[in-house]
Amino acid sequence: MDILYSFGNGLLVALEPANLLYCFVGVFLGTFIGVLPGIGSMAAISMILPLTFYLEPTSALVMIAGVYYGAEYGGSIASILMNIPGTPSSSITCIDGYPMARDGRAGIALFASAIASFGGGIMGMIVMAILAPALAQLALNFGPTEYFAVILLGLVAASAVSNGSPIKGIAMVAAGLMFGTVGVDITTGAERFTMGVPELRDGVHLVIVAMGLFGVGELIVSIRANAKGEHDNEIDYANFYPSKAEWKAMVAPIFRGSGIGSFFGALPGTGQTVASAVAYAIEKKVSPNRAKFGKGAIEGVAVPEAANNSATQTAFIPTLTLGVPGSASMALVIGALMMYGIVPGPRLLVDHADLFWGLVASFLIGNVLLLILNIPLIGLWVKLLKIPYRYMYPTIIVLICVGVYSLNNNVFDVWLTLVFGWAGYLMRLFRFEPAPFLIGFVLGPMMEEQLRRAMLLSRGDATVFLTRPISGTLIVITALLLVYAFYSAMRQRRAGQNSPSTPEA
Amino acid sequence: MKHLLALGAASLLFAAPAYADPGKWTDEPVRIVVTFPPGGTSDLIARVLAQYFESEFGQKAVVDNRPGAGGTVSADFVADQDPDGTTLILGNNAPFTIAPTQFEDLPYDPMGDFTHIAYLGASTPALFVQPSSGITSLEGYIERANTDGITYGSSGVGSITHILGQAVDVSLGIEQIHVPYQGSAPAIQDFRAGVLEAYYDMVALNGDLITEGETQPIALASPERSPLFPEIPTFRELGHDIVIENWTGVSGPAGMDPEMVQTIHDTIEAIMQMEPVIEQLAKFGIAHTEMSSEEFTSFVDGTITTWAPLIKAANVNGG
Amino acid sequence: MREFLLRLQQHAKEKHAPHAYFGALGGAGFLVLSIIFIVGGFELGVGSPRRLGTGAFPVITGFILALLSMGVIAADLRDTTDAEKPDWISFVAIGGALAVFALTVGRIGLVPGIFLTTITASLPDPSLRFPGKLGLAALVSLACWGLFIGLIGLPFDAFMRLN
Repeated sequence: MDILYSFGNGLLVALEPANLLYCFVGVFLGTFIGVLPGIGSMAAISMILPLTFYLEPTSALVMIAGVYYGAEYGGSIASILMNIPGTPSSSITCIDGYPMARDGRAGIALFASAIASFGGGIMGMIVMAILAPALAQLALNFGPTEYFAVILLGLVAASAVSNGSPIKGIAMVAAGLMFGTVGVDITTGAERFTMGVPELRDGVHLVIVAMGLFGVGELIVSIRANAKGEHDNEIDYANFYPSKAEWKAMVAPIFRGSGIGSFFGALPGTGQTVASAVAYAIEKKVSPNRAKFGKGAIEGVAVPEAANNSATQTAFIPTLTLGVPGSASMALVIGALMMYGIVPGPRLLVDHADLFWGLVASFLIGNVLLLILNIPLIGLWVKLLKIPYRYMYPTIIVLICVGVYSLNNNVFDVWLTLVFGWAGYLMRLFRFEPAPFLIGFVLGPMMEEQLRRAMLLSRGDATVFLTRPISGTLIVITALLLVYAFYSAMRQRRAGQNSPSTPEA
Repeated sequence: MKHLLALGAASLLFAAPAYADPGKWTDEPVRIVVTFPPGGTSDLIARVLAQYFESEFGQKAVVDNRPGAGGTVSADFVADQDPDGTTLILGNNAPFTIAPTQFEDLPYDPMGDFTHIAYLGASTPALFVQPSSGITSLEGYIERANTDGITYGSSGVGSITHILGQAVDVSLGIEQIHVPYQGSAPAIQDFRAGVLEAYYDMVALNGDLITEGETQPIALASPERSPLFPEIPTFRELGHDIVIENWTGVSGPAGMDPEMVQTIHDTIEAIMQMEPVIEQLAKFGIAHTEMSSEEFTSFVDGTITTWAPLIKAANVNGG
Repeated sequence: MREFLLRLQQHAKEKHAPHAYFGALGGAGFLVLSIIFIVGGFELGVGSPRRLGTGAFPVITGFILALLSMGVIAADLRDTTDAEKPDWISFVAIGGALAVFALTVGRIGLVPGIFLTTITASLPDPSLRFPGKLGLAALVSLACWGLFIGLIGLPFDAFMRLN
């Protein structure tokens, strides 16, 4: 077994005391920085980047990887406790995680998130170890048409994520797509809807949208609710261990989520977002507990976390073998490698086998460390909720301000957060949900880019989307999903009409 | 005013010997503004500089990433700072060479609002084609472009690789179809997936692909052949005067004290001569050449004039 | 439409407005936005199928959103459940806090900026008295100083640069 041998070697590298230490430092630092709203893996990695100049490449990469998934996990803590997601995938964790916290089950939600992340991480690692060359090849089979089809699938899934009316979910996705066009058109260089503001040329930063729509919007709602004491639920601070039934409920979603996540993770850029959205949408259809989704279902926390984390692991494949960074954080990983003169590319798996397998093995170690570190900390995080809200919410606002300001060191971003925060509050009044908007907003620019590139390359022939095998298959799946969604919505409505005495909620 | 000028000239005269006194120039920490997000080559160069400023000369320095709008957000910010040596920008062709032609309403003057201090170096882009295409020379490329048409990938509208593609169009009298990407990595991915026939990218970042036989370099846009890839001919020796390089240098706000400028210049020059720094920059494919502050200033001015027609032809501001 | 107005009249006497009122507003808001993007998109140029123009994608998404928001209005007008009661005081205070931060951080520095931001944000909650607000603001601003500038090393000025 070649792979076992290589993996064993990697494990030896990762278990060297120095690497173990750097892995721990990375995971620890990442978690704490990731909890701060708006300050995600990006800030965390750039913070330790100068430190890594003095390290061996493998140690540096192990530490950076540790910071990266540590920060992802930290981000889900902020999502569950405060409804402030740092990434689109954690906005999906918010959908069930935040209601669970409101129910006094924050500890269990955090535990579920830790376990699901762990499961997803391990599955992703196994897939990466066995299928790295195949996944690299898969990414190479994806041209513009295929990417367009995958994104379309992700968007349809995103509209199904919403709890309210399906038409509002799709409308929010469309609105997200539309707002994603603000900024310089990357295909022609012309400015769109920037109103002459130079800061808008690069569009609105994702973190600003997330902080505004989720964080600020939610905060405005919560102030009065907390002052009235509506949320003073009995919280069992000691109990964060899921019941036997909850354990059982989590197993299958974790497996499904990681499978979906490992596959999409190999597609740079689109991976994590599409994976979480598709995994959640599927789970919402197949889960025996589907009625509780959106109201605090433990499966709703487990599934996106597992998908997200396994995608995070497999996302290293395109980063390392194709040099295509899926995210800004991955671009930092490439930058760090280049400091050592290691250019990511097809030769990396061969020329730097030690580094690759050391990294794979460090995922195993890092995920174990993450679990060991975080389970005892859950108690501490949950205690944060004990702090009266009148102290908490001004602090959260300050954290949001600093986080947003730190993006580009520009106060314009703070003003934009104000606009999106107010919009987020109004959207809550109008009963629109922010998660589908955020996903549309993130995927929109990629979708447009791929669409225009595909049309340019096919010389204006739109049928390529159907005639190329991979994209054709994906489009058919998407169409079936849409038809099914409308069919079930119609059936529900008809059922509703047959019982006219629907009581007012 | 005359006195001031005379004083400036005199102090320049006294400081004339090269890197007379590298060293600390302010007690405040210096911020080096970078026009890109963390992780790119530019950011890494700034971090190397900051590190050596402190370790070799005791000059505290921090890297301040202010990405956005093709580097103009950074440049605008630096232009407004006090010229006390505490704010420097790691400048490049985006805000200083391309933006002045690309944007009509640029909020700063690339020459008048800045003190251009030290040139660091440049990396060179090349034209790459599919090895399976059978094209091995520029003539073959021109022929293919004229018969079947060529689709090429660049790292973005208005990027240096797009300008180069434009220069090739003009100089070779062909019309390639431009497909912009966000950075060169996704363009190379599509190239390897067989979607594109050609692309332009920094040659140093394609070393692996060249040795693997995954890509075929045709011509280089530097004045002379690269020591790393001596087998690749330059456009110039093939009879097309195309020299487009990705330059980097350090500048500050206008009105800096000439003596301080000299100190900063000498400090940077001293760092650029250090063995580990040379090695580090070589990994990014950047070779350093020495320029005085005056030479660097006229270099920046020169790139604006020579590139302007290409940028206009590329029509990067829409339309 | 008549039905909707009747329902509005009905609910005018009650404590809560019906959600239909807000729902229609939200849908109408999106409709207006989508029209702006459609018009703007056409002005930018939609191009040809081969070379989709700068405005093509805004126009396509704008049309989809316009259709959907009409659907949303139609659906929400049938919604008879009670609407949420808006909390405009918190709305203004939280917006004000962000504005205070934006106005102060570059001028008087991070620490005093956060101090004022915290006070502004805490205004709408009467359960914390003013001395408490001051104390909280002092604590938060000092903690942020230590955390963001001291530990994480973000390149902010803690206090106004004296020059």
